[in-house]
Amino acid sequence: MDYAVETIHLTKIFSDWWGRAKVYAVDDLDLQVRYNEVFGLLGPNGSGKTTTLKLLLGLLHPTKGKSLVLGGDGADTKINARIGFLPEESYLYRYLNARETLDFYARLFGLPAEVRRMRIESLLDMVGLTAVANRPVGTYSKGMARRIGLAQALINDPDLLILDEPTTGLDPIGTRQIKDLILKLAQRGKTILLCSHLLADVEDVCDRIAILYGGKIQAQGQVKDLLQQTDKRQIITDAISDSTVEKIKQIVQAEHADCVITSPMDRLETFFIKTVVAAQEQALPTSGAVSTTRLGEFLTGQLTKESIIDKLVSAPISQQTTSEPTKTQQVIPAETIEPKPDEQLLSKLTAPVESSSIDTTIADKKITTEPVEHKPAEQEIKKSILDQLAAPTLAQEKSGEQTGKSQAGEKNDV
Amino acid sequence: MYSIWAVATNTIKQAIRLKIAAIFIVLLIVLLPIMGFTATGDGTIKGKLQTFVSYGLSLATLLLCLLTIITSVFSVTSDIQQKQIYTVLTKPIRRFQLLLGKLIGVILLDIMLLTLFAAIIYTITIYMPRFSRVTDDELTRLNNEFFTARASLTPAEPDVSQEVLDTYKQLEKGGLLGELFLNLSRDEIITQLTSQKKLEKRAAAVGQELLWEFHNVRPADQNENLFIRFKYDVSVNPPDLQVYSQWLAGDYRQVKYGTKIETPIYSFERKDVIRTSREIQIPADAVAQDGYLAIGFINVPLNDTVVIFPLEDGLEVLYKADTFTANFVRANLLILARLIFLASLGILASTFLSFPVAILLCLVFFFTASFSGFVLESFDFLSEGLSGVYSYTLKPIIGFLPQFDKFSPTKFLIPGRLLSWSTIAQVAAPMACIKAPLLLLLGLLIFSYREIAKVIV
Repeated sequence: MDYAVETIHLTKIFSDWWGRAKVYAVDDLDLQVRYNEVFGLLGPNGSGKTTTLKLLLGLLHPTKGKSLVLGGDGADTKINARIGFLPEESYLYRYLNARETLDFYARLFGLPAEVRRMRIESLLDMVGLTAVANRPVGTYSKGMARRIGLAQALINDPDLLILDEPTTGLDPIGTRQIKDLILKLAQRGKTILLCSHLLADVEDVCDRIAILYGGKIQAQGQVKDLLQQTDKRQIITDAISDSTVEKIKQIVQAEHADCVITSPMDRLETFFIKTVVAAQEQALPTSGAVSTTRLGEFLTGQLTKESIIDKLVSAPISQQTTSEPTKTQQVIPAETIEPKPDEQLLSKLTAPVESSSIDTTIADKKITTEPVEHKPAEQEIKKSILDQLAAPTLAQEKSGEQTGKSQAGEKNDV
Repeated sequence: MYSIWAVATNTIKQAIRLKIAAIFIVLLIVLLPIMGFTATGDGTIKGKLQTFVSYGLSLATLLLCLLTIITSVFSVTSDIQQKQIYTVLTKPIRRFQLLLGKLIGVILLDIMLLTLFAAIIYTITIYMPRFSRVTDDELTRLNNEFFTARASLTPAEPDVSQEVLDTYKQLEKGGLLGELFLNLSRDEIITQLTSQKKLEKRAAAVGQELLWEFHNVRPADQNENLFIRFKYDVSVNPPDLQVYSQWLAGDYRQVKYGTKIETPIYSFERKDVIRTSREIQIPADAVAQDGYLAIGFINVPLNDTVVIFPLEDGLEVLYKADTFTANFVRANLLILARLIFLASLGILASTFLSFPVAILLCLVFFFTASFSGFVLESFDFLSEGLSGVYSYTLKPIIGFLPQFDKFSPTKFLIPGRLLSWSTIAQVAAPMACIKAPLLLLLGLLIFSYREIAKVIV
């Protein structure tokens, strides 16, 4: 059987200056990663995970044994062209900005300028760095650097993605996003080999795992097989009445088995994401990464020129079908009439504006679903949609400001 | 190819944005015009220009050399040290392409900066006489001796080996060797005799004449002048330290074979101070069609001393062979060759050394090459006792280094000497096209087989 990654008696011994064997970093490792699976390499610090990856990619030479990546040598350029690699830290050129960084890596693949530009924008949007794309990456926080690191690993739409601790330094949303991305890529038939010691992450996404210790595999197999407690059963129901619960208990006890009934807890991750999403909808300012949670479209193979145009032309409908269709017109008189003092305006702005958030969410949904019907006032609205695509928070803030102003204007009128 | 170019442009961006190059650029852009205003030299406009070009070009060269070493070493070692190389080398780029990209980036940066600085120096040099108060006389001298590229011809050295051997045998027979040369070996005696004989050929007793013949004299323009540059040495100092002389210049064969006189023969009667270089100006039409020119010197009876032309700078014929501009461009090519060599050296050093060590190694090589004459001599002198070890270890390395001091561009520009294409081919081409690629090749070999990742367990 063919494997995406295969190591045969792979051994790496680090020797000291005199040539004496000091450490067995990887010891007689036989690893098989099948095509189209998400494989997790687990292990405590210093168990040889990263060394294994470096051996696979030819950054280190094995002492004994060999490794095959996509059926060839991991240092071969033809193989490299089909691999995406994210090292244990995002090692970036500090003086380049995010866009230039991605452009540099894309140019190493010889991608034509048009494709490069499209992919870069799409990836920046995906990892939520569009708003800060012109800042040198040296000024990025660790999580932001991680995001750009991930983007560079995806720039060639790789068949095999090798991720070394992909979620370190990322906030829970970023983590969730990477996990979703991994699952989506796996659905598209990609192979993913990831190294981590964050067990929750691995558990969520991996089909198979191997646990490494001292450079040797200690356990290997399907996550389900390894973790399933075959001597227990779990039943999940909707909210049911206490009497029904009692009935169930009786049935179970009739089989002489123990039974515990509780309400399931939300996972902390889920709760955190809910909270932050709510805050984002209120357009609270942040200097950090703002993710659109949209997958890089070229990665899902959906992006065509038509689809962009579709979005642009379908935008007007969404605007017009909102509950307050005349809002943009109201802004104009507000601006021509002498504005109210700043204090009042500021208080309006800082107060959460419900209508605006509802407005944008509706607009967002409609963009992708509505078919083309007609296109009135194209210019104006195109621009606002582009703004939203490029920087959702900015657009939201702006719309907040507009509503603020318009309300101030209405008052004036009254 | 695209990947090489991507790396090259990235290297340039790195040098500029990390302000490595910026410091050098600002320094030069500020310093060069200041030097233009403050340079005085010996007070004449020529001296002023010579000082400016000499210091300006030397400074620009020195700074560019240092910049080249730093950028080439930094761009490779920082990639390895800060591990960006992990993400780069796992993309479809070969290791040699990465190094080549770095080298091309550094060289392109060098070309841009060198062009910039050369343009500044050139502009200041050209415009300085126009903004200074200069007499016509000074201007003529400037044009003849500075804004020019004069080729220099020195008389062919006569073969005196047979004569020397004869003399040696005679002395040996007469048993005079021990008496004349106390405790000297045969080789040393031969060397002394040879220089004596050579000097004899360049000495004229009172009433005697000397004749030098030159071939391949090719002045750029028949209307230009030729210059005989000479220096007298004497056996007895004349009372006023002046020597009377008659000089002849032209196609001597017309006189020798009595053919029809086609080109004029010029004659000058002069009185010149001794031990100082002097120049005689002769019209270029004295040169025969086939580039032949003879120079005659007659030690007129007014003198009471033997006149000797010293071996190293006793006599040469100068003529304008090219323009100052062309010479200046070639001088910059010479500098560029030097920079290419240093860039390759930097790349080589950084394939197996860390940043500080690689920089140190490059600087050692750079300064050795800059003082190669001194270094070679002193090593030769000091190593007489341990010649075996020396000649198999250090000597080949020093021999491989180019000799920056021997072919310094200012050596040609200051006296307005022609830096010919053939000199470029002999000096710059081996440096940039043979030695630099060899260094790079060695670097590529090391880099291809080394482990990129560090040992982390």
